Amino acid sequence: MQPNVISLVSIGRHPQSGRARRSEQDGRALELGLKLSGSHLQVAHAGAYDSTFSGSAEETVLRQYAGMGLKQMTVLKQSSDADVIPSLSHYLESQSAQVVLLGVRAESGESSGMVPYLLAESLGWPIVSRVADIVSIENGEAEVLLALPRGQRRSVTVTLPFIATVDNAAPEPRQTAYGPGQRAQFNAVDTPEVLDELRINWVEAPAKPRPKRLKVIKAKTAAERFKAATAKAQGGSGKVMKNESAQEKAQAIFDLLIEEKVIR
Amino acid sequence: MIFDWLPSVLIAIVLMLAVVGAVRRISLWRAGQPSPVNIISGLMAMPKRYLHDLHHVVERDKYMSRTHVATGGGFVLAMFLVLCVHLFGVDSKLLAWALLASLVMMFTGAIFVFKRRRNPPSRLSKGPWMRLPKSLMTFAVTFFVLTLPAAGILPDGTGNVLLTLVLSALILVSLGEMLFGMTWGGPMKHAFAGALHLAFHRRQERFGGGRSTGLKPADLGVEVHGVSKPTDFKWNQLLGFDACVQCGRCEAMCPAFAAGQPLNPKKLIQDMVVGLAGGTDANYAGSHYPDPQGKGREPGSAKGSPTEVITAGLVDAETLWSCTTCRACVEECPMMIEHVDAIVDMRRFLTMEKGETPNKGAEVLDNIIATDNPNGYAPGSRTNWAADQNLNVMRDVKKAEVLFWVSDGAFDMRSQRILRSFVKLLKAANVDVAILGDEERDSGDVARRLGDDATFQNLAKRNLQTLSQYEFKTIVTTDPHAFHCLRNEYGDFGSDALDNVEVLHHTTYLNRLVQDGKLKLDTFKGGTVTYHDPCYLGRYNGEYEAPRELLRSMGIEVAEMERSGFRSRCCGGGGGAPITDIPGEKRIADMRVEDAKETQADLIAVGCQQCTAMLEGVVEPRPEIRDIAEILVDQLIEEVH
Amino acid sequence: MSDIIRRDPRTEWIARNRLHPLYESVINANAGEVRGPTGLLRKNPHKVGFIGPNGIKRIDRLKGNGQGAGAVGRGKSSANEPVLALHQIEAPDFYIMVAPDLVGGRLTSHDKDVLGLAHKLCRTYEADERDQGRSSQGAVVAVCFGEMKEESLDLAGVDRLIHLQNDVFEGFAPEARLEAVAQIEQMYQPKHWLFPDSIHGGADLGSRLSARLGERPAVQAWQVDTQNTVCRGASSSIDITRATPRILLLLEECGDAIDETRHEAKALDVDAVEVSAVNIVDHGLMDVDPNAIPLAEAEFILSAGNGIHNWEQFHDAAKALGATEGASRVAVDDGFMPRFRQVGATGTWVTARVYVAVGISGAIQHMQGIGQCDKVVAINTDSGCDMVKRAALSVIGDSEEILEELVKIVNAHKGQVSPEGETLEKGSEHAA
Ligand SMILES: Cc1cc2nc3c(=O)[nH]c(=O)nc-3n(C[C@H](O)[C@H](O)[C@H](O)COP(=O)(O)OP(=O)(O)OC[C@H]3O[C@@H](n4cnc5c(N)ncnc54)[C@H](O)[C@@H]3O)c2cc1C
Ligand code: SF4
Ligand code: SF4
Ligand code: SF4
Repeated sequence: MQPNVISLVSIGRHPQSGRARRSEQDGRALELGLKLSGSHLQVAHAGAYDSTFSGSAEETVLRQYAGMGLKQMTVLKQSSDADVIPSLSHYLESQSAQVVLLGVRAESGESSGMVPYLLAESLGWPIVSRVADIVSIENGEAEVLLALPRGQRRSVTVTLPFIATVDNAAPEPRQTAYGPGQRAQFNAVDTPEVLDELRINWVEAPAKPRPKRLKVIKAKTAAERFKAATAKAQGGSGKVMKNESAQEKAQAIFDLLIEEKVIR
Repeated sequence: MIFDWLPSVLIAIVLMLAVVGAVRRISLWRAGQPSPVNIISGLMAMPKRYLHDLHHVVERDKYMSRTHVATGGGFVLAMFLVLCVHLFGVDSKLLAWALLASLVMMFTGAIFVFKRRRNPPSRLSKGPWMRLPKSLMTFAVTFFVLTLPAAGILPDGTGNVLLTLVLSALILVSLGEMLFGMTWGGPMKHAFAGALHLAFHRRQERFGGGRSTGLKPADLGVEVHGVSKPTDFKWNQLLGFDACVQCGRCEAMCPAFAAGQPLNPKKLIQDMVVGLAGGTDANYAGSHYPDPQGKGREPGSAKGSPTEVITAGLVDAETLWSCTTCRACVEECPMMIEHVDAIVDMRRFLTMEKGETPNKGAEVLDNIIATDNPNGYAPGSRTNWAADQNLNVMRDVKKAEVLFWVSDGAFDMRSQRILRSFVKLLKAANVDVAILGDEERDSGDVARRLGDDATFQNLAKRNLQTLSQYEFKTIVTTDPHAFHCLRNEYGDFGSDALDNVEVLHHTTYLNRLVQDGKLKLDTFKGGTVTYHDPCYLGRYNGEYEAPRELLRSMGIEVAEMERSGFRSRCCGGGGGAPITDIPGEKRIADMRVEDAKETQADLIAVGCQQCTAMLEGVVEPRPEIRDIAEILVDQLIEEVH
Repeated sequence: MSDIIRRDPRTEWIARNRLHPLYESVINANAGEVRGPTGLLRKNPHKVGFIGPNGIKRIDRLKGNGQGAGAVGRGKSSANEPVLALHQIEAPDFYIMVAPDLVGGRLTSHDKDVLGLAHKLCRTYEADERDQGRSSQGAVVAVCFGEMKEESLDLAGVDRLIHLQNDVFEGFAPEARLEAVAQIEQMYQPKHWLFPDSIHGGADLGSRLSARLGERPAVQAWQVDTQNTVCRGASSSIDITRATPRILLLLEECGDAIDETRHEAKALDVDAVEVSAVNIVDHGLMDVDPNAIPLAEAEFILSAGNGIHNWEQFHDAAKALGATEGASRVAVDDGFMPRFRQVGATGTWVTARVYVAVGISGAIQHMQGIGQCDKVVAINTDSGCDMVKRAALSVIGDSEEILEELVKIVNAHKGQVSPEGETLEKGSEHAA
């Protein structure tokens, strides 16, 4: 039996240009959805859909998702300052979804990563986060690989229906093709709209650079302060070993590997 | 003589069959998409185009050009006279003698064809092409004998039934090849299709010494973008494929083929013929696509038909992605076939419909879309390189004599050295110059060659929109790829931003400054120098001389590579090839540096940042690589004001 | 071992004088094990540095210059270390809960930052109360699950400890852990819940609790006081300033780790946690061969270029080091390495923390691929090549020779590693 898979996508943000784009993780969620259920995959986006939609950056991005091979896509009509949870959970329930895939964190807005958890809570479904792959879905259970740092993986099973957030370690989204993207249909759906009250009081500003924390030495004496001030800063130009013996050179490399904890 | 009528009847029958074949062939071409041409004037111009434009190319191989004039000219004349004398029975000794003379000419030519075919170079196709000289000779001899009575050399009615029968058989054989084969797909098809291709060529501007190199814009918002199946080509493109003589000159020039990448332009065109006519490549008797990875595609396994998707069985996508769009094949093709157009047309389908741009292609296109540059740098950092250059920005000055189009080299440390050198030269010559700064965007060159014409057109329109806000007389750029787009491709988008604007490559512009005495140069004393012609400067834009003249003005005697000028070998950097990076046996850049090493050069002068990057990517030891602007700057004698 | 601890002024004096000819031997002689509080022999990570003349601990900043660092004084106990002031709380008036990641059973530096922040918040609340003329004392509670190897919870600022060690919390058990924290929430009604916003489970558990409690957490928070919190948003491109909520998911360096006080780390009780239906079942970590890790994710890459002539040795070296293999394009072109190993512009862009480039010249296209690497090590015969300019450590010499020595050292090191995975001191290597 084909599981009923729904991928949710949002408008991403290019880290360099700040322009709207297909989000990295949502693209992967869509890719994973296509792997699981091919052309049966349903894709939804909650967002603005009004007279300004046509030709907007949002439309361009949604068509980029569609260009991965979708014939159609659902748009749950929401204004930009709405809380999307009621709308999404209403939609997921009405579609009797079994597997819901989304990115770990949105690339724009609050990027809190709370949406999947709130959906899971409101639907009473289990949630697994940072999925690298869904290996199989059988007997009401999915075998899932979770991504851990540095290529490690954890295998878990989770009962259907469930929500999964897709990690950057999941397979890359396929290329989006212009033609199919342009031809895809949007099904706009009216859903309950709830204003996000809390956010209104927030102040947003461009991110301030965070100073990298220096290794602080609490100097208690003048000599120590002097030493701290003159200690060679980390980084800078590297150390070059030329005339030492091969053994010494190898030792230096080894020490660095130990210090960096890549050899244990 | 009871069988006297036989030759004429045979001629008539074969002729009729040939006409049927011609109609059928024409209908195959007409299955392609409409492309407006002027039929009458095209046909009228055909002979001149044959004698002038086509022969201009064939002339590069003197042996072959003479042979072809003798054989081809002899045949056309002979055929015409055969019809007069033997079919319509015009009774004229003069005609008969003329026929004999043309047959002798044809026979002589055929002997040379025969000699060439005895030990054919690998680029030539074998198979049916090997019997062609024999068919030609048979034709000449048969009709020679047949015409002797008409010329009064032998009395009428000479020969017995046997001779007539033998001659009739030979008529069948030779006319079968020459007439029937012409329209039913034999080697002589090239004459029929070639002649019509000259008449109805899609780029009429190329005739009479013109140049037409800009790609045609793709139609957007249609059912299928790009070419998926043979009938998606324009009809005259299909006609062009049919004109191929399988001479293999394109194969011999193709850098991708030489590097062992799975591309052979000749085979590609032949596969297009298989596609438009339906069938397999079993009868193809030339070199196949190189197969560096031993994927083992059996000859004969490529199948296609006019309505089947080309990349699903006829041509592998890798073949299409191996091309650097260097146009060496087009430049060399005597039949003026447009390989690059066809390749990009098919790439458009792969990218815009299938989303199958290989390797880093997808990532680069995503970057171009989201940041207007292929590496995804912050658009706001485009002008960082010029922080210390004290350059005017158009947004502030609105107007300047020269607009310096910086191109994406702005983000690359190596290319920035070229940019800075060029700026220094401009300053030394007191040129009133400005840049667009952060308002500039990628020219769209890479997106277009990767088949994403939607993105190219978007960039082109936005760039034109920006350009239209400012006033300038000249655009100069150090990037031949951007140069080509601005000069030859931006014109299709209905903007007047570039009307009356001269678009120049920096070598051309610098050469003018030097010739006008605005730059004083010292003599170069750095060993042997060779010059690598960037394809997008040379073949695409015809600029071979300015860079050389610039080098000469520094006292440099260019040690020319064997492949230089219009025959320059691409560095492998064009057409997005470094991005799609289809594996071969060698690197094109390595071969190019080998070319240079043969001249004992210590320095390869180039005029393109991409060429610089490609050639510098070759492992040392190798000659040093510098842009001409960089060489000039070192020889600049700065005047103290 | 003698139990009588005597100071040896001479060695202390030598230890303080880095230029003394005997400095190294004195330093290294004592870099040995220490008897921990439980009586077991342990290497004490806090024993870096030495005691200065006025009895204050100093950290040897020259560490990493090849000289060993360790405690000075013949005494094997910490008798000479100044005893840090103990922060004692009799009966806490409020709690701040911290759920550290405890990667491998130990506090991460991220955990310690969060604990530090918890104390900062505590102190502010206490001061506010004082200003109101009331007295109030808060306790920072570490809520820990599963295996615990950390020995210095007291030094990291843990006033109270909730340690849940039941099987149901072992490994990956987000549902059970959520039930536990939800129950703790009910019992103690803490002022705040602080989680490291990390991929090690902190973000997950924090998000689960927030969703359960219906509270909007501050996520990717990096500047926090009792009133306002600044969070990163929109892929770290904006700062969102908002009122500080009860639940916070905190970025690294959100606070300063505790370093001047000791804390009680007193156990706190929790009623038995009832874990109802479990929907997520952990099947454990997968065995991952370092060479099967996708190049882009690998943490440690040994990369080969045109300067490798003994390929068998290279592969052996990668295996011995436990490194993922990478290659320059030339090595790939020449057929020595498969294409998916290529690092660079047309290959993979890697993010390794340590990238060892063996016989790679550092062409710009290669450098593009290692832009995000933290530490680059170059092994090359040419000291002028670009890779050497980029590297944090470069050794100039023949790759084959150096790899051979390196493999020897690594194998010797592996032989010394005790079964628990603890490293023996390697002071002897310097003695020669
Ligand atoms: C468009 C383009 C894309 C490219 N993409 C990539 C890419 O993605 N990745 C990539 O790597 N390259 C790429 N290149 C190729 C790149 O420019 C260089 O050619 C390549 O990186 C050089 O590889 P290398 O350093 O291994 O070889 P070399 O440049 O030959 O360097 C070999 C080094 O080994 C040292 N050496 C020699 N013998 C020994 C020894 N016995 N012991 C120790 N050291 C020794 C030498 O001193 C030298 O520094 C690209 C090039 C182009 C043009
Ligand atoms: S395409 Fe042109 S150059 Fe190539 S074989 Fe055919 S005729 Fe010759
Ligand atoms: S354009 Fe250049 S690379 Fe492409 S087929 Fe022609 S010769 Fe070969
Ligand atoms: S990089 Fe240079 S040689 Fe190569 S395609 Fe472009 S212009 Fe041609």
